[in-house]
Amino acid sequence: MGLFILRRLFQGFLVVLGVTLVVFVATRMVGDPAQVMLPLSATAEQRAAFEHKFGLDRPMAEQFVDFIGDLATFDFGESMWQRRPAMDVIAGRLPNTLKLIAAGLGLAIVLALPLGALAAIRPGGFADRITVFLGLFGLSLPQFWLGLLLIMVFAVTFKVLPTSGYGGWTHFILPAVTLALPAAARLMMLVRSSVIDELNQQYVRTARAKGLRFPQVLFGHALRNALVPFITLAGWEFISALAGYTVVVETVFAWPGLGLTAMQAIKFSDLFLLQAIVFTVAIGIVLVNIVLDVIYKLIDPRIKLA
Amino acid sequence: MNSITKLLSRAALAAMVALPAMTAAQAAEITIAVGSEASTLDPQKRDDGGERAINDNIYETLLARTPAGELVPGLAEALPTQVDPLTWEFKLRPNIKFTNGEAFNADAVVKSVARIIDPNFASEQMSYFGTIAKAEKVDDLTVRVVTTGPDPILPSRMYWMKMVPATYSDDPAFQTEPAGTGPYKLSTWTRGQEVVLEKNPDYWGDAPSIDTVRFRFIGESGTRMAGLMAGELDVITNLLPEFVESVPKSAAVQGVETSVIILSTENEATKDERVRKALNLAIDRQALADSLYSGFALPTKGQLVNPRAFGFNTALQPYPYDPEQAKALIKEAGAEGKTVTLVGEAGRWLKDRELIEAVGNYWEEAGVKVDYRIEEFGEYLNQLFDRKKRPDAVFVVNSNELLDADREMSFAYMPNGTASSNNDPDLAAWVPAARVETDVEKRKGIYAQATQKAHDHYYLVPLLNMQDVYGFSARLEWQPRVDAKLLAKEMKVTE
Amino acid sequence: MAVISPAVPTAAAKPRAGSFSALAAELWHDKAGLFGFAIIVLLIVLAFIAPLITPYDPALQSVAARLKPPVWMAKGSWEHLLGTDHLGRDVLSRVMAGARTSLIVGVSVVLLAGSFGVLVGLFAGFKGGRTDAVLMRLVDIQVAFPGLLMILLIVSVIGPSMTTMIVVLAITNWMIYARVVRGIVLSVRQTPYVEAAEVIGCKPARVIFKHILPNLTSPLLTLGILEFTNIVLAEAAMSFLGLGVQPPATSWGLDVANGKDYIFVAWWLITFPGLSISVTVLAINLFANWLRVTTDPQEREKRFARAKAAERRRAGRTAPTPVEA
Repeated sequence: MGLFILRRLFQGFLVVLGVTLVVFVATRMVGDPAQVMLPLSATAEQRAAFEHKFGLDRPMAEQFVDFIGDLATFDFGESMWQRRPAMDVIAGRLPNTLKLIAAGLGLAIVLALPLGALAAIRPGGFADRITVFLGLFGLSLPQFWLGLLLIMVFAVTFKVLPTSGYGGWTHFILPAVTLALPAAARLMMLVRSSVIDELNQQYVRTARAKGLRFPQVLFGHALRNALVPFITLAGWEFISALAGYTVVVETVFAWPGLGLTAMQAIKFSDLFLLQAIVFTVAIGIVLVNIVLDVIYKLIDPRIKLA
Repeated sequence: MNSITKLLSRAALAAMVALPAMTAAQAAEITIAVGSEASTLDPQKRDDGGERAINDNIYETLLARTPAGELVPGLAEALPTQVDPLTWEFKLRPNIKFTNGEAFNADAVVKSVARIIDPNFASEQMSYFGTIAKAEKVDDLTVRVVTTGPDPILPSRMYWMKMVPATYSDDPAFQTEPAGTGPYKLSTWTRGQEVVLEKNPDYWGDAPSIDTVRFRFIGESGTRMAGLMAGELDVITNLLPEFVESVPKSAAVQGVETSVIILSTENEATKDERVRKALNLAIDRQALADSLYSGFALPTKGQLVNPRAFGFNTALQPYPYDPEQAKALIKEAGAEGKTVTLVGEAGRWLKDRELIEAVGNYWEEAGVKVDYRIEEFGEYLNQLFDRKKRPDAVFVVNSNELLDADREMSFAYMPNGTASSNNDPDLAAWVPAARVETDVEKRKGIYAQATQKAHDHYYLVPLLNMQDVYGFSARLEWQPRVDAKLLAKEMKVTE
Repeated sequence: MAVISPAVPTAAAKPRAGSFSALAAELWHDKAGLFGFAIIVLLIVLAFIAPLITPYDPALQSVAARLKPPVWMAKGSWEHLLGTDHLGRDVLSRVMAGARTSLIVGVSVVLLAGSFGVLVGLFAGFKGGRTDAVLMRLVDIQVAFPGLLMILLIVSVIGPSMTTMIVVLAITNWMIYARVVRGIVLSVRQTPYVEAAEVIGCKPARVIFKHILPNLTSPLLTLGILEFTNIVLAEAAMSFLGLGVQPPATSWGLDVANGKDYIFVAWWLITFPGLSISVTVLAINLFANWLRVTTDPQEREKRFARAKAAERRRAGRTAPTPVEA
């Protein structure tokens, strides 16, 4: 187990290194932050001073060496837009994104488990057809569109929920629903097919023939066996949300999270902040993956961790 | 007193969170949406809208403007007097304090000037203050500001420079815990979400009628609209003209922005004056203003200079819309079917892309081919500022916060200006001369000559003077300002 | 890493030599699949002939005819069936032209990413050993990249365009094909007949083309179709954020983005392109669902069993004493 985690950590290190390299090349070789960051009327001297201050006038190789050195000490540089350490900006925003993902994913799980099981009880039946169609429908809605429609209906027309921003629990509802819907659809489909497969197994048929009650079969066998693929998919949903799919939702709902901050960093061409965000998220993904692997191992000791 | 208001506003906040639909009923508290987040609350450091909107309510300047744009005394007791061509003397109002307890006096002014022009401080606002050499204290309430050369627009500049306390402004905490002389002071700042201001109980001027001002950062204009419609917001800026009918209330004011296309006098496509004339006559500016901006824009009067600015030439007439003559001119110049490259960007200014495409359509109707180059902003700036290779035609929106023609002149009129594309020797001589001419009438005369010359040779295609359109909640009363400042002290709430 | 993508059948399915008419008959019976298929055909036809049949040039502006509502509204007219946008462009024409964009982007990305992924997968699965390990580690590493954030970063630096978007989406989406193909290659190679072919000295190319590729068709088809929907949604999202297709080109996502500022005065601007995205993705999902079941013998068996069970239940329901709830 210890060796396994070490290996995973090494692999994670490679991931982070790769991400770092791509980010560095993309930002320094092509963009010119001095031009975008300063006002239209800024003079050539002001631009030069700006580049000097942030070390953008030095050779690429030198910048890269410095960059790696800083990363090793968790110094992500100063956000050019916010004029404070990029890490401070991220520290303020990451929790908001995590909370949003937790709310969205939690909602997705809560929806997916009973609906998937319900659909699986009688495949091809009425409930199944409805849930499958709803699931496919949920997969088909572009999130930015869904978000706008929800704002229109619940915030503007009925005025029962806030339109945007961060605050009490009511602020969570619309963004969480928007984030949850496609994930709920995928998870629900997975629960459904796992449970169907399980209910068709010979031993289950035997158990039922011997008089085991249906709920016992469902909760005792079917759902438990669906757990590993379910956690895999839920983990994948978590990662893909973290990897940027909250950007759209946060943009639409003005949610002060990492995704919105990334869009602002792009707008202000704030390289250091953008780098730091991508870097943080990469580390987050590596950690989540390791945690997932450990969970598998705990659930099912037969799984080989290579 | 302080803690009580704080407590009350906390209670109000708690009530709001619990019952979001009730916000409209809260008295004397308003919420203003701004597009971008404040990056710092240091009033002298950055040049961005988010910071400015908030600090305009916390800090003050020596001179102020009326909502219509006229310069009036602010922290200074009267307009400045000129001691010599390089020196201006300001008398200060007595008995004013910053909210941290420091007195506002000559020391504060000297410090404010020295701080902002200090190269090490690297203020982004330096482009407003490039001519200022130093400030000297004469006595506690008298200050002299000295410029490097004669500078007729120094008073306008001092209207842009926010006054900071002499000692506390060196403290690192100053960036996040501001202390100004203005009608409001900071209550809370939740990064990424909102800044809440509360009334400054010791304000020297008339007490504002609104107790608490909440600034929320909402980047998406659709989301801002939704917030206004749902009753969560009281003021939103940059309202799309189409929505004037839909929002509870709206108001418009002549703004500081003017859209223009700068033509190159060197490039093959546009060096013929007849072509440049045709490109001007081909455009129905009134139709653009009426349809694209629903009437919330005015056709320019044959010049880029803002109508409210010093140096605006009242003698010039708008270029007429004459598509037939435009066609004839293009034909006569042999430019039929030739390509004009039109460089622009999208998203920075209200309906910029739409305007560029609409103008291009008019040009194509006149007979030229238009090659649209809608660039990403960085690349767009490269081309706009490129002194060696000018684009045939480049779209830009000029903003004149100081309301003085020097801005437009050095930006687009003077050869080798920031973004100009002509090499007229007269303009090359006049613009620098006007910049240092302290005789008001003479200076006006030079600008009249310059705008006339550019008008007659069609160096520019001035398009529209934009209006700023605001959306209000039903209960808000406010006259928006020419300088686009969001001054909460001028706002009122009716219940 | 143990991240897998959802809902992808990795089991090596033996292709069935079902005749075309039999397939058509089966599709006819599955109404949802049929609906999906019809929409897909419509989309493809539209994409090809859009320039010929759009009532207007989708980029043609008319400042005089801005924000006209659809024909059935009070102020609508037959000139613009679905109304016009904020620049007086015909919404119907733009929706049609948008179909073309979605199809071009979707197909290009799936083909690019697919062929590269398949090549890597075949190579890794066939070579095995160290090559396999290195390639799959590469796949693992790239899968763990913060996908959308990287896309946004790269596009915002290079500058948005359709080509940029296609390339970037292809670069970030090839890994899943590699994984699926490798898995199938490994399992197919263990089947006795392929082992036999290799033992008697068949050239690798022959083994790949004769034995392995046929086993790949069905799962790759399903995977490609499902990925296509992801790309359509990704294209829309990127265009929505302003980092995708750029005017005067059209795209559904771009039109929703353009229309979102007008949501309160002109609901039709975001509704029709948004609906187009939803219906397209839904149709493809429905069709893919049918295709997956139809081409997978195991699934077919299950479907057959289910149909039988349902028959029995229906029969049972008419009986005087129902069997178990």
